[in-house]
Amino acid sequence: MKVIDRFAEKFFWVAAVLSLSVTVLIFGFMVILGFPLFKGGQFIELLSKPWLPDHGIFGIYPMIVGTLSIALLGLGFAFPLCLGCSAFISVLGPKRLGRILKKTVQIMTGIPTVIYGFVGIFLLVPVIREVFESGSGMCILSTSLLLAILISPTMILFFSDSFDQVPKPFLDAVDALGGNKAQKILYVILPYSWRGVLTGLILALGRAMGDTMIALMVAGNAVAIPDSVLDSARTLTAHIALIIAADFESLEFKTLFACGIILYLFTTFIALSVRSIDSKFWRKK
Amino acid sequence: MMDRVLEKVVAGFSWICAMVLLGTVFCIVGYLLINGLGTINVTLIFGETDPVDALLFRKQVFDGLFPAIVGTFALVALSVSFAVPIGIAAGIYMAEYCRGVLKRVFSLFFDVLAGIPSIVVGLFGFSVAIFLHNYFSSRIYPCLLISALSLAFLVLPYLIRTTQISLENLPEDIRQTAPALGATKLQNIFYVLIPRSLSGMASGVILSIGRCAEDTAVIMLTGAVTMVGVPKSVFSNYEALPFYIYYISSQYSNKQELLSGYGAAIILLVICGLLFTVAFFVKHRLAYHALYRQ
Amino acid sequence: MKAKLFRIGCVQASLILALSFTLVSTVQAGDLDAFMGEKGTLKISGGTAHIPVMKEASKRIMTFNSDIQISIAGGGSGIGIKQVGEGLVDIGNSGRKPTDKEINDYQLKMFKWAIDGVGVVVNPENKVKALSKAQLVDIFSGKIGNWKSIGGVHKSINVYTRDKASGTRDVFWKKAIDKGEITDKANFVVSNGAMKSAISSDPYGIGYVSVGHIDESVAPVALDGVVPTLENVKKSKYKIARGLYSNTKGEPSGLVKKFIEYLFSPEGQQLSADKGFIPVK
Repeated sequence: MKVIDRFAEKFFWVAAVLSLSVTVLIFGFMVILGFPLFKGGQFIELLSKPWLPDHGIFGIYPMIVGTLSIALLGLGFAFPLCLGCSAFISVLGPKRLGRILKKTVQIMTGIPTVIYGFVGIFLLVPVIREVFESGSGMCILSTSLLLAILISPTMILFFSDSFDQVPKPFLDAVDALGGNKAQKILYVILPYSWRGVLTGLILALGRAMGDTMIALMVAGNAVAIPDSVLDSARTLTAHIALIIAADFESLEFKTLFACGIILYLFTTFIALSVRSIDSKFWRKK
Repeated sequence: MMDRVLEKVVAGFSWICAMVLLGTVFCIVGYLLINGLGTINVTLIFGETDPVDALLFRKQVFDGLFPAIVGTFALVALSVSFAVPIGIAAGIYMAEYCRGVLKRVFSLFFDVLAGIPSIVVGLFGFSVAIFLHNYFSSRIYPCLLISALSLAFLVLPYLIRTTQISLENLPEDIRQTAPALGATKLQNIFYVLIPRSLSGMASGVILSIGRCAEDTAVIMLTGAVTMVGVPKSVFSNYEALPFYIYYISSQYSNKQELLSGYGAAIILLVICGLLFTVAFFVKHRLAYHALYRQ
Repeated sequence: MKAKLFRIGCVQASLILALSFTLVSTVQAGDLDAFMGEKGTLKISGGTAHIPVMKEASKRIMTFNSDIQISIAGGGSGIGIKQVGEGLVDIGNSGRKPTDKEINDYQLKMFKWAIDGVGVVVNPENKVKALSKAQLVDIFSGKIGNWKSIGGVHKSINVYTRDKASGTRDVFWKKAIDKGEITDKANFVVSNGAMKSAISSDPYGIGYVSVGHIDESVAPVALDGVVPTLENVKKSKYKIARGLYSNTKGEPSGLVKKFIEYLFSPEGQQLSADKGFIPVK
């Protein structure tokens, strides 16, 4: 018996170490393959230069701007929407409708991103093009709108769970004082669960920055630094998908690893921020 | 008075949000159904080949979705069979054997893995394939195996997390009963803890299946191609539904192909929607059975 | 006597006719017959213009002999050349002639089996159907930003272009706009098919596409008076032409060789013609 026990423990441990090493390996590959970029400090330069392959300049600054603007705008659209919906589900809406909304949202988490991109191309892009009368419709605005819908279900469920964790005595207290539902949300639930809300927000930001298909299909992929939300833009993720076709000995291809490193660092930063909020949360409990 | 207005606004706002969200979902699904429902028939899937021949792999299917559907199934089966043993084992380790600083370190790494964009995982898979091709065997190219491994990396954190959480959420008294009666740690895990957290783990597995079926970014860099028929070995290229939808949407040559894209989108939507619904159903029902059947 | 001679003559004539028919039909059937008894996988990637021909050819070959598996991927001419050079695929298609450096580095053998053109296209609703070369250069560099300046509606011009791996782009850049700048505000699409769908759904777009791909969903734009049609490319009236190449690393053999031979066979050449290209034979 003891032998099996020890063997099993080792087996589980090996599995965990294997998984951990995958994380490290991914980063390692990016760094090793992108190594030529680090020589001579090119990496830092790349972060601020525009993308002009014909002139031998392979800066990824436009793509960084693209990723940030699309992700932040998408988050800007999604955040109020999700707050409203989760408030509806938890408190403000009639119980049955709230449950229907929650079920719908749960099923929505299963909708593939490529479907959003597909519908976006044929439904949203022409509408944006006609309504704003400028540009091709393939722009930051369209991408952010679709992205907002993509990240909403997860955010709503997350917020909902945070709202549900408010201790019942608090809610009862509001009722005892004669408060109504809106007051409950505004003055008790939201302040109490702000950490959960923040965590959900940050995780959604990570998801938004890491999405590839919607940006690839709908954002236009121009290499210029976008001036307005109606401009075509390219994200780091779409850039990887597009340049993968290039010669992989070339400097052009190596910039993909720079993109990968930056995205990886964004991810790590997000994981760390969530962690720091959460630990305070749990310590309080 | 001002408070009253504020409260009405807040209530009204949340109603609007709910309606907007529901409306958007109905628009998206409705648009697909209106345009695509008409195309769903045997020809869409099997082209001009007889369905029975196609299903028995006697004849190849051209101009139909069948190879893509088979490709997706093969991909999902392969990647889940890689990911599940390792993911569940690692989750058990995290919940039962790991403590203190080490646990925080592992946890951080798994959170990072969970957040890595899928295209970066795809880039990694592609680089590994090229690396192996150049240094090990020139018979290795981006293929079904490489894609399956990359997808396995993608869903590993989900499996670890759901296993860990469902094990950790078991009440203390259940955890302590068997050891009190003399069982070893391993016996406790296998005979008591796992059966009780089966629903959580099962829903994690089903969610991973859904994730593998819908992903496009990873497979487009690691072996999915425009046309190749049903994959004949794990070292061959393959077609997949999400990849088909992606390139049809940008590269359709006639109305017929575009309509097939709608059809494919509906099929993929149904598959993924079904998987997620089953996952939630399993999560709630298995718990009932596990707790009250024994 | 005369009747007998006549009868003999008839028999001889019909024999000769019969023989020639069998000879002809043997040649026709033989185009695919070469694949009888073959087994294995064939990997093809590269130029997106070639894809319709590749797909149809593979369909016929795979239907004829189900032991053969042919995998087709796109990616653009650059990827085709690179991947065949690295040994990742057996045949790399390109819509431009590989450079001398590429030929040397990878020991490429080139096979040109069709001729195609690269034409400027706009949405069928667009009134502007003819441009001069100077106007084209200015449109793609961004100097001319509005359709109004060239006789169209008052809307900004949406430029669509391809990525650097594209042979279509290479030919367009070199021959149509004399290596001019392409504005960095241009939208990028990934293949000829993608260019077509983008232009056909954007009333204010302009782009360039393989002539063989032009159909009713887009409208060709005459360049300096010459409309990009197959006829004009054939007669060398439309100058922006390129060959469709299939490249292999070193001399092809086995299945690869047979596939290339099929492309040059009467059936293969007819296939190219059907798909809108000009066969070399």
